[in-house]
Amino acid sequence: MAVAQVQDQLTLTSSDGVDITVDRDIADRSLLIKNMLSDLGDPGEPIPIPNVNESVLKKVIEWCTHHRSDAPSTGEEDDNRRKTTDIDEWDQKFMQVDQEMLFEIILAANFLDIKALLDVGCKTVANMIKGKSPDEIRKTFNIQNDFTPEEEDQIRRENEWAEEYESPP
Amino acid sequence: MTFTDFGASHAARRRPSFGLKARPGTAFPGGVSTQNTTWAQTAAWQPLGAGGSDDNTVLYEDSSERLYRYVNVGEDEYSGHVLEETHIFPSPVTRHRSTKSFSSLRQGVDGLRALGRRLSVTIRRKSSKHCLHVCQGESYQDDSTTTRHHGGRGNWEGRSKNSYSINRRPSLHSVSALQNFYASTCRTAPPIPGNGSEPPVFPDDLTRGAAARAAAAAQNEMAKAERAGPRVDSKLLDLVITRDSESGIDIDIRDRSEISDSEFAILRIDPVECFPTEIVAQILSYLDPESLLRTGTVSRSWHREASSHHVWRTVFRREYGAHFQGGMSTKRKTQSTGLGKTLPNQDWKRMFFVRRALEHRWKTGRAAAIYLHGHRDSVYCVQFDENKIITGSRDRTIRVWDAHYPWPCLKVIGAPTGDTPDATTNMATNHPAQSSGRSPFLTICPPSKPTTSIVPEQTSDYHKASILCLQFDEEIMVTGSSDFTCIVWDIKNDYRPIRRLVGHQAGVLDICFDDKYIVSCSKDTTICVWDRYSGELLKKLFGHRGPVNAVQLRGDLLVSASGDGVAKLWNIISGLCVKEFPSKDRGLACVEFSEDARTILAGGNDQVIYQFDTNTGELVKELNGHSSLVRSLHLDDLNNRVISGSYDMSVKVFNAKTGELSINLPGWTTSWMLSAKSDYRRIIATSQDSRAVIMDFGFGLDGIELLEE
Repeated sequence: MAVAQVQDQLTLTSSDGVDITVDRDIADRSLLIKNMLSDLGDPGEPIPIPNVNESVLKKVIEWCTHHRSDAPSTGEEDDNRRKTTDIDEWDQKFMQVDQEMLFEIILAANFLDIKALLDVGCKTVANMIKGKSPDEIRKTFNIQNDFTPEEEDQIRRENEWAEEYESPP
Repeated sequence: MTFTDFGASHAARRRPSFGLKARPGTAFPGGVSTQNTTWAQTAAWQPLGAGGSDDNTVLYEDSSERLYRYVNVGEDEYSGHVLEETHIFPSPVTRHRSTKSFSSLRQGVDGLRALGRRLSVTIRRKSSKHCLHVCQGESYQDDSTTTRHHGGRGNWEGRSKNSYSINRRPSLHSVSALQNFYASTCRTAPPIPGNGSEPPVFPDDLTRGAAARAAAAAQNEMAKAERAGPRVDSKLLDLVITRDSESGIDIDIRDRSEISDSEFAILRIDPVECFPTEIVAQILSYLDPESLLRTGTVSRSWHREASSHHVWRTVFRREYGAHFQGGMSTKRKTQSTGLGKTLPNQDWKRMFFVRRALEHRWKTGRAAAIYLHGHRDSVYCVQFDENKIITGSRDRTIRVWDAHYPWPCLKVIGAPTGDTPDATTNMATNHPAQSSGRSPFLTICPPSKPTTSIVPEQTSDYHKASILCLQFDEEIMVTGSSDFTCIVWDIKNDYRPIRRLVGHQAGVLDICFDDKYIVSCSKDTTICVWDRYSGELLKKLFGHRGPVNAVQLRGDLLVSASGDGVAKLWNIISGLCVKEFPSKDRGLACVEFSEDARTILAGGNDQVIYQFDTNTGELVKELNGHSSLVRSLHLDDLNNRVISGSYDMSVKVFNAKTGELSINLPGWTTSWMLSAKSDYRRIIATSQDSRAVIMDFGFGLDGIELLEE
């Protein structure tokens, strides 16, 4: 492939065969790519991203570009990231896409190992579930209720207040 | 107070290692004259509610001995838990694997390809299940899988030319397979999922919005019909509804035969079917417990995912341990958090149920009373953890009790006495039926062991007078006494005394310590700062004009409360008083410092609890309810509770955020409440009637032991 490459740029090839050139530091947001490059060096040819198609890859790169100067995640963040479903404003807007795209971004973030993007994606989905009734959740994600009435009853009982019992002194 | 230790470690990190030697010239300005004033002030402060009947000696005792408080220390375990948690959680493992296996590959590009293949297989396994389940588009799926697998090395670009030209998004089949038809028919974006509880945002294009709604509604209706109605052939039903929704919006330009069932799922995709388990787990772990419970009732597969122990552990711990995850490292905190041990295969969901039942008992004030008999005089102080309860008394002994049934006294530390103490005869339990308060639903008085069997420790050193205050952590216990001294005990080595801290000229009313300092305050109006490890007196703080009844430490900040009616904030390094928080009228007996050091609580003879803002010095609110001197305060930041004990013989629980009185526990003992502390499941209060009482909200709760740490 005769793609002219500036030294600190990389070319990624989406699953549907589209080449996208990005700055190295942006591509480095993906631990997968970063580790590959540091382990094996620049391959000097486009890197195929076999699981991610052009439109999704572009979205992912858009995110990485916006967050290119974020501090790399630390272990401490790992503890905190499950703490809250707050999402910053830019990310919220970024995630306002259809479900298909949202889910593909999440899968791509998982594949490319972009923790922060995976977190934002998962939080977005969690926010779609939070506070909803089971029926609303089914509608949101097009899920069929495959419980028998008996099973449903049992689960409901499980979830009710655990009845206190007093052991004898 | 529980979080001293955080402050300590903090301080330790920030502070360079220069010594804090007190230079007599500056640190002891006019010692003698100060003291003179002091005594006068002490006397002035004496009128302590109870006055009348007691003679002078008692009054004197009162100010010298009844005023104390102390601080719990951090707990090592917590940080350990968190660390472990990170490792155990499934998602990082997966990521790790991919990175690792990848780096072992020789050639970069090939490596990625291989990895991609491997990964897509995993996802595809899931997705093909999905197809079976929802759209029966199996043959299509298989075909494209094959294409992908053998697409040829170095020929990835060509894959878009594979047999499915309508496949706009050949990757991620789980999602896109469902999309093929729709995508080619209509290129604009489907609705945008709503954020939180907001409804999804539909695109401007009305027609397409209608399509979205119709398809989704159709799908839901189909689901309903299938469940409720008589068993119609589901395929037939599909068809009918298909036709309805499609014709209704009139966008279908293709032959019906080309349409696969998969288009039903066009706009709405089941994440549980589409994502690998670890991503589903991560999504669910962001939910609150109630939402998570509801997701478990959505469908069988959701129920399975929503029952994951990993998810429940995260959700449970966040719900009840949020403060700790906020980065507050409480290294030696001893207050139990009730978050359970970290064992393999714990049923965290069950633990959540137990904890919820426990919280309900706190809400309704339902607790059992367990009385600890043994001391022969007023019990001034208490601290406890999951295993032991330590009390200090006017009878000059320290007692260590087992915190579990049958709550025996394990140890008596004090002067060897010849006289046989006659424990507990005056203890007919009595609960004056005050209509406003909660009485125990059950009362237990474990028989105290025959006193002969407990020989007071023949320790080389012990207090020669009342034990007024104590605090322990994992390593040491420090006690303060009317004999003007403090003793540091080795808690790991059978409570052997390590050293005695001598420096006060009157009874030591309260102590607190962290990783670096031990701070004691005294009736002599001074505060002493000692080196925790050498016992060296580093500083003496002057400024109060009455006995200093209570101290609390947070990092470099120290707060003290005095009978002179002022709480003072000190910088422990400079030794200077930075701020004053005056009561409205009379003396202060107790003080609490919030975990974040932003809030100061103080109680005393004004019968209210003052809440001050540390930074502004402003009086934020007053917590009302007591009808006599507020003798002790305990702030449980983690559980948002303020526990107060008062000379009105009640213990009260306030909501720490709102300041509202939430539980009133009057008359559980027959005399003044001298100390009260709490953890996730119980309050332990000590009384002038020589007893300690465990107010156990977890008593008899099925599974309560799961919460122990």
